[in-house]
Amino acid sequence: MLQVRKIEKYYGNKNNVTKALDGISFDVEDAEFIAIMGASGSGKTTLLNCISTIDMVSAGDILLDGENIADLPSGELAKFRRERLGFVFQDFNLLDTLTIEENIGLALALNHRDPHAVTRQVEQVADRLGIREILEKFPYQVSGGQKQRAACARAIVGGQSLLLADEPTGALDSKASKNLLEILTKMNQDMGATILMVTHDAYSASYAKRVLFLKDGRIFNELIRGERTRSVFYHEILDVLALLGGDVSDVI
Amino acid sequence: MYLPCWEVMSVTLSKLSLRNARRQAGDYLVYFATIIMVTALMYSLNGLIFSEEIQSLSKLLKSLPAMIVLASIAVICIMSWLVSYTTKFMLTQRSRELGTYILIGLENRQVAHLFFLENIMVGSFAFLFGILLGNIIFQFLRAVVLALFGIPYHFAFSFSFRAAGLTLLYFLFIYLFAQLRNRRRIRTMKIHDLIYFERQNENAVIEKSSRRKKISVISVASGVIGTVLIMAGGMLFGILGAVCIIFFLYGFFASFSSGIPAWFEKHGARKYQGQNLLVFRTLCAKMATMGVIMATIALLFTATLISEGSGMTFHMMLRNRTALLSCFDIIFSSVEPEAFTECIDYVNTNIPTESSREYDIYLGETSELTDYVESCTVYYRCYPKDAVMRASDYTALREMLGYPAVILEQGQYLIHCQPYLKKVLKEWSEPVTAGGYSLMPSGIYTENFAQSFWDVNGQGFLLVVPDEAVQSCSVSHSMYVAKTTEPVSEEQYDVLEEKMYQLYSSKGFDLLIFIKSKEEADMASMMAMLVFPLYYLALVLTMAAAAILTLRQLSEKERCRRQFLLLYKLGMEQREMVKALKTQLIVYYAMPAIPSVLIGVSFIINLGNEVEPGVLTGASHPLVLAGITLGLFFLIYAVYILLSYISMKRYVMAFD
Repeated sequence: MLQVRKIEKYYGNKNNVTKALDGISFDVEDAEFIAIMGASGSGKTTLLNCISTIDMVSAGDILLDGENIADLPSGELAKFRRERLGFVFQDFNLLDTLTIEENIGLALALNHRDPHAVTRQVEQVADRLGIREILEKFPYQVSGGQKQRAACARAIVGGQSLLLADEPTGALDSKASKNLLEILTKMNQDMGATILMVTHDAYSASYAKRVLFLKDGRIFNELIRGERTRSVFYHEILDVLALLGGDVSDVI
Repeated sequence: MYLPCWEVMSVTLSKLSLRNARRQAGDYLVYFATIIMVTALMYSLNGLIFSEEIQSLSKLLKSLPAMIVLASIAVICIMSWLVSYTTKFMLTQRSRELGTYILIGLENRQVAHLFFLENIMVGSFAFLFGILLGNIIFQFLRAVVLALFGIPYHFAFSFSFRAAGLTLLYFLFIYLFAQLRNRRRIRTMKIHDLIYFERQNENAVIEKSSRRKKISVISVASGVIGTVLIMAGGMLFGILGAVCIIFFLYGFFASFSSGIPAWFEKHGARKYQGQNLLVFRTLCAKMATMGVIMATIALLFTATLISEGSGMTFHMMLRNRTALLSCFDIIFSSVEPEAFTECIDYVNTNIPTESSREYDIYLGETSELTDYVESCTVYYRCYPKDAVMRASDYTALREMLGYPAVILEQGQYLIHCQPYLKKVLKEWSEPVTAGGYSLMPSGIYTENFAQSFWDVNGQGFLLVVPDEAVQSCSVSHSMYVAKTTEPVSEEQYDVLEEKMYQLYSSKGFDLLIFIKSKEEADMASMMAMLVFPLYYLALVLTMAAAAILTLRQLSEKERCRRQFLLLYKLGMEQREMVKALKTQLIVYYAMPAIPSVLIGVSFIINLGNEVEPGVLTGASHPLVLAGITLGLFFLIYAVYILLSYISMKRYVMAFD
């Protein structure tokens, strides 16, 4: 589904160039759940921004369903984002003036879907993610975990093909984190959602089917869960992180 | 070098104040521009009070200072509210920063001092700029007043210390009042209060749906009743009407804010159409916390339109009334022909005239034409029969006024009327009878002919008939008109007026004296005294209210930017975002203006209709005046809306 080919990203001017991404290549299959890990400054968020077209690569190609993102004219980028990508951010990014239902429905409204069908579609997704009872509430009236589930619902309600999650558990307590990760797993397994999740939390990454480790803008290692249990996979991730040289706070 | 601790602190505080003051000026540019403009207006009007040149123009202008001071008192109240509100608002916005100062060891009184200092600093700059700009506006006002009196304007720079002193006094009152209140507020605040001050907000005024509906219905009914009462006229109805309208505005905005979500609940699909969701949810959020302030702003806008519309109506009424009579330089009129003999003698001896004429206005045999006019349009009947003039007098008067000559054939009559009656009279084709002659209509003329009162050349219209046809008609009143070679002086008018009073007290003669130059001077004085303060008040009201709206809008720049950044990430088209932003701003600024426009326009039209017919016509028609008033109001309002839009767009749409 997603092919990342030798992408590079430079920041700064000619006197002071920072290489944020340095020849990264990988593929993401349909209905795959992939995590990208790395210490602060390793290029995780830059990679996610480039895939989501919020930032442009300096070199290399990103193909989504065979379509090169770099070839899209600037006018098409917004359409591409709203039709093909779903976002889940660390700080939820729900609009505080809209109810949960409206926040989810916003993704459909932006896509100019039939206004009469919006409520029904929102309710269907909300049922699946267990947030039906909070649809009438405003973001400030619900918990962090519920907000993040609402963000997940917004990310998939329009049938987007790729869900990009940037530290989705970063602002949640451990119980809410676990709950959210189970939701993401459910979305991946039952609904066939393709998920690309950036995290520096080994526990979160252990829910993915595959983990890519970034260091200084390059892929340092790759772990595939295969048939192992999540617990075993989690410990393997910790081992790689120890090799990566991340400090304790990155690991726990 | 060793410095005592307090001095070091003091120097640091001053620097900090200066830096904050500079930053504040940038953040609250619209507010400071408003303060500068109002200060400039205050100074320029105070300049008129203390200008000997202006005061010497007319005796009537002696009341000008009182009128300006009265308007200034109202302005001081409005500005005190604006400054107090804005300073409190700044405190809310910056409370976390001020709390941090206390957290790092500054004492409350030092922080209060810091806040006070920077506000006074910015205020002082606003005052200085205001005075400078005020000098320019004063020159403009001076030119307008001189033009009203027909005196040529020559630029002469002048700086009035007394005007500046009075402006400073007003300014200190406005500024110190607000600053001292906030100073006291900060001094008694705890760190927690300051750090979490921004969380305190106005709550939704009405929560319950049933109560909201009731208040909504009652307030709208109150608004309608209030408008009807004001339009009915009279002091008692006026006061009751004003109370109803105030209740309507507060009730409407309080219930409206919680009414939109309820409407959305009922019309689920509508909210997902176009920009509705973003626009109306943003409006809901604003209205929930701004209900009271929106109502206050709507009230100010209503006062603006009433003030501006009244100014405009009085302006046109005074100007047109004078213009309607000013074709002659002198008019005497009385039912007693000998009443103005003495006055004519005085004119002949003391005032050089180009030409003059004595004549009578007669009453015809029937009142057919008056009846007809009365049935067709608004007309105040003054005579029991139609007013009639002899053709020879008419011809002489036309010649005196320089109008083209008119030939009246035997067996014909013509009508001379005010322009507003022409359409009605054109439809009239019936013969009239006078002195036993049956006369046929031969034409209508509408040049200015002094027809706006009963005791001049007919009330609104008169018939011109052959001389022989009036022989058996009774005289309504006698007239003397003259064109002078020079304008009649104020002293000469005083002598004539004295004679008029003497005649009335000694012989009981009622005499009308109209002296063009005197009427024009009086009109100019009345304009300066009545119209200037009303416009001044209207300007200040518009600017103060628009500044508060803009300030509230701009304070949400950051929140708005975050919202649009998210929408950008979610794939919203930039042009759709611009459209949403525009619609949000238009709806936000239109909300308080709509009820004000409805009430204001009704008031202006009603006020205009109270003026005697024929005065406010054509370009001075009440509808046109209402249009001009709205135009001027929206011109100033648009400046604020545009500033807000540019600032918001530049800040909110910067995604790179």
